[in-house]
Amino acid sequence: MPKKSFNIIGKPVIREDGYEKVTGSSPFADDINFPGQLYGVMIRLPLAHAEIKKIDYSAIRGNKLIKAICDTSDIPGSRKIGVVRWDQPVFCSEKIVTPGDVVAMLLGESEQELHTLKTRIKFSARKLPVLTDPSQALASTAPLIHPELKSNLIVHHPLRKGNVEKGFANSDFILEQTYTTSAVEHAYLETETVVARLFPGRRGIHIIGSIQNPFTTRRLVAAVLDWPLTKVQVEQATLGGSFGGKDDLMNILAARAAIGALKTAKPVKIRYHREESILESYKRHPYRMHYKVGYNKDGRIIAMKIDILADGGAYASMSPFVTWRTVVQATGPYDIEHVWTDVRAVYTNNPYTGAMRGFGSPQPIFAQESLMDEIAVRLNISPPEIRRINALRSGSVTATSQKLKEHDVNLIPVLQEALKKSSFIKKWQKNLKDNPVQDWIDLSHTKTGILHPDQFRERKEVYRKGIGLALSLRGCSLGAEGIDAAAAYLSVQPDGSVYLMCGLAENGQGLRTTFSLIVAEVLGIDPDQIYYLDYQTRSIPDSGPTVASRSTLMGGGAVKNAAEQVRERLENQLRKYWRIPKNTQFHFRKNKIRARGSKPLKISFSDLCQLAYSQGINLAALGWYPGPQVHWDEATGQGPAYFTYVYGCQVAEITLNMTTGEVYLDRVTAVHDPGKVINLLGAQGQVYGGVTQGAGYGLWEQINAMEGQIMELNFDQYLIPTSKDIGEIIPVFLEGRDKYGPWGAKSLGEPTLELTAPAIANAIRNASGQRFFNLPLNLEELILRRKLRPEDLTRGSER
Amino acid sequence: MNTTPEIMIAFNLDRALKLLSGEKSAPLAGGTDLVPGIHQQAKRFAAIERLVDITRIPELKQVNVKNSGTTIGAGVTFSEILTHPRLGSEYPLLTKAAATIGSVQIRNRATIAGNFVNNAPCADSVPPLLVYDAIVRICSLKKSREIPLQEFLLKPYKTQLQTGELVTEIFLPPPPQNFGGDFYKLGRRRGVAISRITLALLLQTEKKKISGLRIAAGAVTPIGRRFYDIEHQYVGTEISAAGLKFLAVNVGKAILEETGWRWSSPYKLPVTQQIVYQILCKLT
Repeated sequence: MPKKSFNIIGKPVIREDGYEKVTGSSPFADDINFPGQLYGVMIRLPLAHAEIKKIDYSAIRGNKLIKAICDTSDIPGSRKIGVVRWDQPVFCSEKIVTPGDVVAMLLGESEQELHTLKTRIKFSARKLPVLTDPSQALASTAPLIHPELKSNLIVHHPLRKGNVEKGFANSDFILEQTYTTSAVEHAYLETETVVARLFPGRRGIHIIGSIQNPFTTRRLVAAVLDWPLTKVQVEQATLGGSFGGKDDLMNILAARAAIGALKTAKPVKIRYHREESILESYKRHPYRMHYKVGYNKDGRIIAMKIDILADGGAYASMSPFVTWRTVVQATGPYDIEHVWTDVRAVYTNNPYTGAMRGFGSPQPIFAQESLMDEIAVRLNISPPEIRRINALRSGSVTATSQKLKEHDVNLIPVLQEALKKSSFIKKWQKNLKDNPVQDWIDLSHTKTGILHPDQFRERKEVYRKGIGLALSLRGCSLGAEGIDAAAAYLSVQPDGSVYLMCGLAENGQGLRTTFSLIVAEVLGIDPDQIYYLDYQTRSIPDSGPTVASRSTLMGGGAVKNAAEQVRERLENQLRKYWRIPKNTQFHFRKNKIRARGSKPLKISFSDLCQLAYSQGINLAALGWYPGPQVHWDEATGQGPAYFTYVYGCQVAEITLNMTTGEVYLDRVTAVHDPGKVINLLGAQGQVYGGVTQGAGYGLWEQINAMEGQIMELNFDQYLIPTSKDIGEIIPVFLEGRDKYGPWGAKSLGEPTLELTAPAIANAIRNASGQRFFNLPLNLEELILRRKLRPEDLTRGSER
Repeated sequence: MNTTPEIMIAFNLDRALKLLSGEKSAPLAGGTDLVPGIHQQAKRFAAIERLVDITRIPELKQVNVKNSGTTIGAGVTFSEILTHPRLGSEYPLLTKAAATIGSVQIRNRATIAGNFVNNAPCADSVPPLLVYDAIVRICSLKKSREIPLQEFLLKPYKTQLQTGELVTEIFLPPPPQNFGGDFYKLGRRRGVAISRITLALLLQTEKKKISGLRIAAGAVTPIGRRFYDIEHQYVGTEISAAGLKFLAVNVGKAILEETGWRWSSPYKLPVTQQIVYQILCKLT
């Protein structure tokens, strides 16, 4: 359906759950309770790597406050689960491989009493050497985290294009640099919560919780119970944030709650407090990234060799897919003839790492966009210039030898727009002129901490301005990770009101509103007429996980397909009713349908629906949107990895305090091509959130594990930015055309996050003349070029 | 988890002191330190069996600014300090510090005495109170007494407060005349930040000489403290860039001597010296 002008698409629309969210009336999972409900409290051993000898419950067995103790022996089906590799026990029985591990669960009516009682449980275990350094994981002397797998290697993705050694030989210059990033926490406001209860007559189990991917939960709970999928009914409660984080752990918690419900025949609720949530949940992968680049005097990059090591922690989780996106995108949005990339993920005893907004892109973009500026500095050209010389254009070939075609390759346009909107060149040049680079005070080697008189900084030299940019392309949806298709259910009622549901889940991103707008556009009705149904796995086909910024593209495609099916039936009915030719076209607008042509024929949407019902027309439809074929050669890392791409450029403007290392984020200009924007307000919201989260990644956030034990277990120590820390954010959308997605709408959620940290790092370079290689760029990193951390885990306030 | 303490509400001071006279009682005002501490099962609160809510006692909510000095009730919140019509002009370092504490919501609850009675090293209002020579008024059923704040603070999380005693008031002598001053706080972020460094400086100059000097720091020393030796050493000295640098270095050395070399020292020590120097330059 070609469209020139839209009724509602692209306009700013307040999200349908906005009022409830702001007033706090949305019912979250912990607001849902059932009569006779028990609580599940987890039992952990304070160890990072150990062989379990015995768990001794004698001190609490028989206590009437405990209704049951569940462990692995209660599991009828699969005792280990995982989203890719089934290596994570629901309850550990042989080994502890990271401190978040759970060996058993106490069930009882009083959660508080259970927390007290669990401290009386005794255990004996044989401590094993703890592996915390991923660079040691593949050494022959390294302890094996999962001995049955014979190796700590989770995955290795190679990519080979051209002849990299020949490329280096033909390059004028070679630059080698190493960058690192930290583990970070999703920091969703709502902690993990789930309730499981048996349906009467054990006809199945009902699971309701803060679940990101209900179909994944269903699949894994069914495997653990050894039940058919149909008997596991998973319902999504209103989610208080996910950012990729309510997947693996929620699946495990759902399985534990289901085991408890099965054992006691009572509803079982599990809810985590913040410390427990941060302790057991997975994080974003810390990466160590070594880049070797060959380039010529004219700025052309000839060859790139990349070696990346990801710390997967104790379980494989999403590591194979996260690192796959990394291998596809590690060279950034640049046209490079010779590429040799190796990305590996390994097991350690650290907290495990998995999916988080960005999914394997924020790390390499930090490295590769920092590197681009370093090359520009060495060639004495500007940051935009080095990117223009190397940027992918329409018809260019990516590192995986995919030709970019059939959509607007808007890389240079987003760059140009960002330069214009931020007055980049003028500011960048002024900063270079204003900021002497030779006065950096190097305190990285100070031993005494006492300043020499010539190390003092004068007041007027404290603040510096800096501006920096970063550029990316991002493959949309799952790509060659897996099967990519989505479903939507639409049912128009006789009065013209509409039920809608999609197989992708509302995780707070606003997809219900987006999908309602798509239906409203196709049927020419008001979005308020659409009643969005609660998400239940029994009511809609499996549409894959709600990940990879794929909802608007895939789910939106399915929703549009369903709406178009119904519209087509309504149109056919009208042609009969008005006795007009079969090729007559219609306008659906403002709840009215008009036939195009000379005769002024008109009917209201509700009258038309009434008419269709009276004629026995089916006004319900199941929409389907299958992604096109993509493929991938594992051995060479070559192939059309994703069926389409989006492009973005962010400019960060900062004030740097040269005395303290504080970085104030004054302004971020975020120019994105997400394809067609469906809800302008929703899209802007994605940018505000993504930039803020990206700034947190760049400047503050870091999970430190000491012998596997996390030091930052709450928000007093794990610092995310507050509203006072983030300056102005300016979202700009440059809508490229694409044949995929509803009217060419593609992806935005993750692109908004992945660019902010490198843009800030490049702004710091502009302000100080210094390059910083290790995220986060916190106070100590800037002043000392290293991180400092306490020697023990005790907080002062705990004393 | 500890058993939850019982909570009693006192509507006047006598009743509060009576309720607090037992071994296992503690006063509860804003609760911004106590309540999270109890949830964390902090050892310093482990013995508490009774909390006495003192937020409704009128005597503890008074602020009196007089020529002879100022009294601030122990239960006055930081929001109340910030909105008081006279405190800001009389004791600007105190209100500047108050504005940096936590967030609006925390400042609406947190009280001035609550900030130092638990003697956390990072209590933001302590350095300003120290340079204003604050005196703590303490009451119990039997007697009342007054102690300078610096003596009241013994060591991290320990004060001179005895069982049955309650801090009722802070007395600030009239602000020293013709002094310039500044309060400085460094946190890891701008809002809801625990301080990494706090400094309060009061300086008086006369004919290019330092004629009066008061320096206090928090978060860089085990507890908030004044640097009396340095103050005495520098009163009467000529103001010069080199001299101010040495003054800053001496503060650094005093911190190092008192605190020892800690994990945070490589950062905090040099930055504290920089800030001391920059504030001194601003004030001279």
